[in-house]
Amino acid sequence: MPPDITTEPAGVSRAAIELIDIRKAFGTGAETAYAVDRLNLTIKAGEFFTFLGPSGCGKTTTLRMIAGFEEPTSGRLLLDGRDVTGVPAHQRNVNTVFQSYALFPHLNVGENVGFGLSVKGVAKDEIRDRVKAALDSVHMTHAIDRKPSALSGGQQQRIALARALINRPSVLLLDEPFGALDLKLRREMQMEVKEMQRRLGITFIFVTHDQEEALTMSDRIAVMNNGVVQQVGGPVEIYERPANRFTAGFIGDMNLIEARITARNGDQFTLEAAGSRIDFPCTLPLQPGDACILAIRPEALHFVEGEAGGSVRFSGALGEAVYIGTDTVYALVLADGTRLHARVRNGDRPMPQAGAPATLACAPSAIRLLTQ
Amino acid sequence: MIAARRGNLVTLALLAPSLLSAILLLVIPILIVIAFSFAEQDTYGGAKFGFTLASYRELFQAIYLPIFLNSLQLAAVSTIVCLLVGYPIAYFIALRAGRHAGLLLALLLIPFWIDFIVRMSAWMVLLGRNGTINSALLGLGFIEQPIRMIGTYPAVLVGMLYAFLPTTVLPIHAALNGLDKRLLEAADDLGATPLQSFWRVTFPLSLPGVMAAILFVFVPAMGVYAIPVLLGGGKSIILGNLIVQLFLDFRNMPLGAAVSVVLLVISSGIIVCYMRVLRSVEEART
Repeated sequence: MPPDITTEPAGVSRAAIELIDIRKAFGTGAETAYAVDRLNLTIKAGEFFTFLGPSGCGKTTTLRMIAGFEEPTSGRLLLDGRDVTGVPAHQRNVNTVFQSYALFPHLNVGENVGFGLSVKGVAKDEIRDRVKAALDSVHMTHAIDRKPSALSGGQQQRIALARALINRPSVLLLDEPFGALDLKLRREMQMEVKEMQRRLGITFIFVTHDQEEALTMSDRIAVMNNGVVQQVGGPVEIYERPANRFTAGFIGDMNLIEARITARNGDQFTLEAAGSRIDFPCTLPLQPGDACILAIRPEALHFVEGEAGGSVRFSGALGEAVYIGTDTVYALVLADGTRLHARVRNGDRPMPQAGAPATLACAPSAIRLLTQ
Repeated sequence: MIAARRGNLVTLALLAPSLLSAILLLVIPILIVIAFSFAEQDTYGGAKFGFTLASYRELFQAIYLPIFLNSLQLAAVSTIVCLLVGYPIAYFIALRAGRHAGLLLALLLIPFWIDFIVRMSAWMVLLGRNGTINSALLGLGFIEQPIRMIGTYPAVLVGMLYAFLPTTVLPIHAALNGLDKRLLEAADDLGATPLQSFWRVTFPLSLPGVMAAILFVFVPAMGVYAIPVLLGGGKSIILGNLIVQLFLDFRNMPLGAAVSVVLLVISSGIIVCYMRVLRSVEEART
């Protein structure tokens, strides 16, 4: 750990941020809309926490409220156990890496990185040493006298990181920081930032609409939609056990099939879905007649011929096939017109012809039954 | 070759109207003034064209130096007053007025559709011995004797401020309006108080606008004529009314023309030097 940006060791159970019943309203009267609605969340110290959702879901508004650029309409915000609701941004021990980097164009790289220390009146010698160390930690020491405009996007990104981290914040906020980078550089920076977070033990709060980025980098993810948190959990939990239709559809590719319970025998359900009868073990409190949604990953489906026991089957006519390298994605048009997508590894069998009857099957354990 | 030549001809044809008016209304008058400045004064107040440096020789006598200094001083003080008043206005309109910004800018500009002399006369009515302000103050019992305002230096500065406020506010407003507001959030985020944000981010980034405003105020203020005469009583002689006096009162057209040429040279010199400094500043910033 470099001496420039040390921090106290991560107390994993200590709360870095507590969001208590946070609401953010825009507009007034009948026009009132909530960018963020009844948000209750605790982010632990040392955690890499991500807000994930489509644009306009309230994730950036949430981040801006933590930073202090916007105040919640109601609710309280605790930072390191202290209520900071109403405290202006410059008095919060939180720093932000902006989507646009927001480097000061009239200052050189060294002055940009030293800005936070300089406004706090830190001695010039100390600023110089810490700026050097901070630039060293992002491999940008050589650019200390350059102007931000002379740097590439990736380099500006590193400067923005150094400028935030030099202040030793208790929480670092990152607002879609890789949005402007090309894919290769993006992967590189993802690795680097994740590694930096592990090394420093600082709480990182990350905002992205890129589910892959969220899954690869985060300790925990909050999936948001329409200002409401849909699910909070680790990447594996979010991907494998989506809590509702939105999360299931947003994270990765997912077949979502409307279904209805037709019979129940203990924990054994019989469902009617897209014209197929499915026997399915489940512990959800559902009764015959209830509607639900079946969520199946395309990679969990495979073609079967004849009768194989113990699996759930869907029969229909083959639709379009899309070749994507190692795999091919097939569409199966079921009796009621529902399209079921299956991602099948190439080379296992000859490519079936479009229009031919086929049957896809998966293990019951690969199916998520969702009620909303 | 032919295509290129034809392109040049088209360009020339398109430029012809503006080129002609510039030559007729700008270049030729300046040449006439220059010609006058080298002419000889004849007995009846006319000019005998020729080439003599007599006017310039007379001009560089010590009595004219204070007039040049007066003009420089008035222009400098006016510029400073305009900046002190104009910057906060530009700042407010650009960063604080929100959706009222357009309206405020319009209000600032609308008076300038009225003729300059009419507006200055309005100030004479306002500031006069029996003017609106004195009557109001007397009527309200704040003062017992009318305050002498017309004919004082502050009255001239008020007039200068009024005349040059839009040319101060507009370039500064343009610079502040183009300021990336996220930079202010970044400064806030990094712990800068609002005052620190202003001096370290907002103000340095608005400097190009301030530099333009200085040029737009200082250079015309050097040659200003009506304001010091109408509001200052014409007591301290500056270049503007010196030229008028030489032409109309003393009927010394060559000397008047020489003063005009010197004013032109000084102003152009200031502009050239200023642009050079500005460019090197801009280069240092990027």
